[in-house]
Amino acid sequence: MLQAIDLVKRYGSVLALDGFSLSVAAGEIVGLVGHNGAGKTTFVEIVSYLIRQDSGHVTIDGRPPSASKGQVGVAPQHIALYPSITVREHLVLFGKLAGLRRTALDSAIEDLTVALRLGAFIDRKTAGLSGGQQRRVQAATALIHRPGLLLLDEPTAGADLETREAMLDVVKQRAGDGAAIVYTTHYLPELVELQATIAVARNGKIIARGTYDELVEGLPGEVCLIHDNEEEVRVSTTQPAATLIDLLSRAERPISTIEVHNPSLDDLYRSLAVSDAS
Amino acid sequence: MLLDTGYRAGPIAALRESVYRIGALAGHNTTIRLRDPGQMISYLVMPMVLMLVLKPLYVRAVEGGTTKVVTGLLVMFSVFAISIAGNAILAERTWKTWDRLRVSRAPAAELLLGKTLPIYLVMIVQQAILLGYGCLVIGLPIPGNIPLVLMSILIWAFTLLAIGALLAAIVRSHGELSVISDVGALTLSSLGGALVPLSLMPDWAQVAAHVSPGYWALEMLQAAVAGDTAGTLLPAAILLGIALISGAFAIRRLTRGWGRGGLL
Ligand SMILES: Nc1ncnc2c1ncn2[C@@H]1O[C@H](COP(=O)(O)OP(=O)(O)O)[C@@H](O)[C@H]1O
Ligand SMILES: [Mg+2]
Repeated sequence: MLQAIDLVKRYGSVLALDGFSLSVAAGEIVGLVGHNGAGKTTFVEIVSYLIRQDSGHVTIDGRPPSASKGQVGVAPQHIALYPSITVREHLVLFGKLAGLRRTALDSAIEDLTVALRLGAFIDRKTAGLSGGQQRRVQAATALIHRPGLLLLDEPTAGADLETREAMLDVVKQRAGDGAAIVYTTHYLPELVELQATIAVARNGKIIARGTYDELVEGLPGEVCLIHDNEEEVRVSTTQPAATLIDLLSRAERPISTIEVHNPSLDDLYRSLAVSDAS
Repeated sequence: MLLDTGYRAGPIAALRESVYRIGALAGHNTTIRLRDPGQMISYLVMPMVLMLVLKPLYVRAVEGGTTKVVTGLLVMFSVFAISIAGNAILAERTWKTWDRLRVSRAPAAELLLGKTLPIYLVMIVQQAILLGYGCLVIGLPIPGNIPLVLMSILIWAFTLLAIGALLAAIVRSHGELSVISDVGALTLSSLGGALVPLSLMPDWAQVAAHVSPGYWALEMLQAAVAGDTAGTLLPAAILLGIALISGAFAIRRLTRGWGRGGLL
């Protein structure tokens, strides 16, 4: 569905994209991760035809972004809503701009109101909504016309639990319906739940791509034992259960708290940096 | 169904889709305007008050003083539409919503039309009210050729909106826009003879006036009110030219967007 090959984008001396390649199949969720400044948003902007690449190619369903307007749904990283306009009015506007009419528009609004739990504030102006609510409205305006390609740029940034749950449910559902989805985030557990393919961006290119099992499973996590708010021992391990038993059996003082950290995105970045350097 | 919605081939269907989108945008922008109407009301009330106050001065100072005070203040206060249109477009940059619209099916020309259409209607109503007020209260003779007056109003409003759109597309901040549009508008309209009759101005100012759209607007409106079709045409053509060039530049700039730069 989406194919990007060797994208390069330069801002003065900054190389925002440096040979960025990524493809997403219909029905696939790609979790695009990477440090701030890795080029994720720049990639989204090029695919949605907001900016032009210096070189490289993008096709969406075989066509360039310029010919794919209306088939792409974009939820930008930063909230971009009209403060004096209600949630419903937003959905009507973006639905109509996508060509939806009467019953199709009404039922699309109805569906999203339920799926993204907008009902309680659907007739309120967006200026008065919480950050999480605004996130959901922003996603709704991207989803209203059921686009074949969804670009969700940090759709859960600063979001509360309800927003996160609703968002993940909708994303899974749309992928199930056959949409290709690019989902950028800083939270690995979301990608596990979405069963997303993980693509790691660094310095303007994709340096690794694979499933959670392929990329993260073998990485060391951390086990930490705490005695009276004082850290007794902290160990990095790929075998948390065995390590935990071993540590507990050797502990000299009573342990009040046990923390087990699964490998995080930072662990993934670190391991990739190491393999990069070697 | 994933790849959506009401997209049909053929030029007639495409036109219908386009009109539908412009309608949606115009409705949306009307709502935004109606929820923040202050600016427009003051631009209607201020010239009414000023006409009353300034009329005796004009009538004593120049021949045809009544026509000049009405058309002069009308032009002067319509010029503020530049700032209304400019701010409306600039707000979309501040809210970052312009890029959301750019991602939609609507090309920049549709976005601009949808944005300015409600303001256009308001301006025409404003100018019609001011002319009506001029006839009823100030004593302006009722124009013999109403369609000619109407055409002049339509062209002048179009010119102002195109200039406003251009400014909004090129400035870097609200501050810049207000400096350029307010100071610029006042200079241009007064230099054009909207505040003080041109014949009373120094010679150099009378020459300089010819570069001001305000000057051509006054020429056009005064000729139109007098029923002078031939005298209306040249200024009308000049204004239309300015409008088309400004509008074309604005659309070009708005198509590209601004990326993440700027002071907004
Ligand atoms: N409009 C711009 N002007 C200048 N630099 C930019 C612009 N947009 C992005 N960049 C730079 O490009 C790099 C990639 O940014 P971005 O795509 O936003 O990364 P991410 O979304 O992964 O955090 C950063 O160094 C950023 O500063
Ligand atoms: Mg980003």
